[in-house]
Amino acid sequence: MASTFKPLNQNDITTVRDMLHEAIPITGTIVSGTYNTGPTDHNIKNYETGLFQSVFDYPYLSSSANHIFDLTVGYSNVSSLSASAMVAGGTQTNKKINMYNEMAQILAGFDETGSVRRFDRDGDLTGGAKLDEVFIVNFARLLTKDEIKKQSFSMTLLTGSTVSTPSLVSSNLLIQDHGAQTSYKVNSPVGEYGILYTGSAALAGSGVGLIYYQAGICVLTASVFDGPAVADYIGNNGAGGETVNYTTVDDMLISGSISGSCDAFRNRLDNISFNNTTEINSTIYFCRANFNEYNYSSNPTYLSQSQIVVKTSPNELPRAFVTSVGLYSADNELLAVAKLSAPLQKDPTDELILRVRLDY
Amino acid sequence: MAFLDNSGDIILDAVLTDTGRMRLAKGDGTFRIEKFALGDDEIDYARYDVNAATSIKGLTVLQTPVLEAFANNVGSMKYKLMSGLNNNLLYLPIIKLFESGDSARFGSGDSAKFIVLVDNTTVLSVIGSGAGAAASGLPGGVLNGIFTGESTHLIRADQGIDNNKVLTISPELRETQYMVKMDNRFGSLIPPQGSTTPAQPAFIDDDSIATYILTSATDSGYVNVDPNFLINPTQGSQPTGKAVAGAFGSRVAFRIKASTSVATSDHLFTVLGNVGTETIGSLASGNYRYVDTIVNISGETTGYSIDIPLRYVKQT
Repeated sequence: MASTFKPLNQNDITTVRDMLHEAIPITGTIVSGTYNTGPTDHNIKNYETGLFQSVFDYPYLSSSANHIFDLTVGYSNVSSLSASAMVAGGTQTNKKINMYNEMAQILAGFDETGSVRRFDRDGDLTGGAKLDEVFIVNFARLLTKDEIKKQSFSMTLLTGSTVSTPSLVSSNLLIQDHGAQTSYKVNSPVGEYGILYTGSAALAGSGVGLIYYQAGICVLTASVFDGPAVADYIGNNGAGGETVNYTTVDDMLISGSISGSCDAFRNRLDNISFNNTTEINSTIYFCRANFNEYNYSSNPTYLSQSQIVVKTSPNELPRAFVTSVGLYSADNELLAVAKLSAPLQKDPTDELILRVRLDY
Repeated sequence: MAFLDNSGDIILDAVLTDTGRMRLAKGDGTFRIEKFALGDDEIDYARYDVNAATSIKGLTVLQTPVLEAFANNVGSMKYKLMSGLNNNLLYLPIIKLFESGDSARFGSGDSAKFIVLVDNTTVLSVIGSGAGAAASGLPGGVLNGIFTGESTHLIRADQGIDNNKVLTISPELRETQYMVKMDNRFGSLIPPQGSTTPAQPAFIDDDSIATYILTSATDSGYVNVDPNFLINPTQGSQPTGKAVAGAFGSRVAFRIKASTSVATSDHLFTVLGNVGTETIGSLASGNYRYVDTIVNISGETTGYSIDIPLRYVKQT
């Protein structure tokens, strides 16, 4: 009996899992500078709540703009910056504590008493130094996809003496997740994370931040900007149409708004790069055309007055040309299509195995 | 020692069709790939040079550029390759419209089509004033889509060898099951005579294309493989009228019932339609709107398919 469909049995179907990585470079000029053509960077969006700031790769009113990350700052309620003496002269203190706690309870979770865990410098939750004043970079899902690839993250900050004369590129502060491929942490409620280091290797106790791979969030201690207490050490450097600079990063975290602190951070951001990871689950269908199968076509041009045009006598071998593979349901509904790059001749002297991969 | 030729093992990336995505989203288990077919939609076999040297006979065909996959399930895999046949065949059956008598089309040449009148007002206007809805008198190729039982006009297609050199058809090539696809927003399939109860679609896809599976065993009103129709001069008689010049395989026939939505609403005619420019019976041009669609008939055995132009007409 002639037929056009061939059943796929369990030996014709297999599943595979692949990891696809993309390199994501984020240059500092996009984050601050490229679109700074007016009182506000056109690719930076601040919100009425003032809790965070969104960074786009293009003026965000354009449909071409892609959201690349959100920025916020915060400190814990046990930080010295939240002390009552500080609060008196502080700006958005509650909001900064709120942001710290929100991120900490999601990323670090709660301790056995139900209190929010503070970010830990070395990932050992049983003790050690904590990160109580932090900058937080939430990367968009568009960039991180399923997760950030371990040991691929790097961030370069300008930490020079003043806002107007930050360090030259050759002496910028390079922050990386050294050794994370094998020494990442798994005690976070949102998956795996690594420790960020400023040195050339993972030195115990020298971490300056945390990178949460599946969540796509970087938590960076504000102390990376600790330096000489000089005028105009850190600040927005004119961003937003005004110049509000501070002598220390602590001054900024106390007196500056969240958006102002984010502006300052952006102006000190030279480069971010990482590889993202997309987990691709594929089903491979082995479509086997045996020697005696698929040698005739139902294409109208295959016949002329019902005579097969690729043969002149019954003794010649039939042949057909394949350009597509259709995958069908039991009720003959076309569910997926695969195309060949060029027609493939099929005749009774040959067999074909077309491996059709369907990604999910 | 030379490398092995692995050119027979090819990896292709598949894309889900819109219907595939819809079934996947439903999550009801209907997204289940159980079979495959091979297609050759881009190929023009007339470019195969049977008189050329063996090595270059198919050269032009092999150079044919192949389009990327269409996500529309209806637009892909229209022509399939066939299996299960011996290598000595020189003739294959086709499906061809039977165009005479009650199954003639309206118009001629490129403008020939079947017309479905979608409401009683339109039917009366086509027949002429004073005639009742029950009256016959519709022009050839015009189907009464509202009082379907009042007209004998139908759509009929024959399967067989369209060459008078071949008077027998192998049972393995005879179609006993047809797949009919049509736009479900406009109409549905009913038997060619008798009952006016619409057939039940096997499924309706995301584009409202209904697919009917008609089998000779269960839908004998639609599919006729009466052995008396088989052309075998020594064993049976030939059908008195058939579309194909040679061996007859089977026949599929049906009428169209207009959907309630097009019978009661002008919306689709306003959005998709045009003002008619030809006279249909007593219905003058300019007094109606129409929408052109197609009905696709394909044989489940050979995969051969034809598109039949269909025009839905509604008086304005």
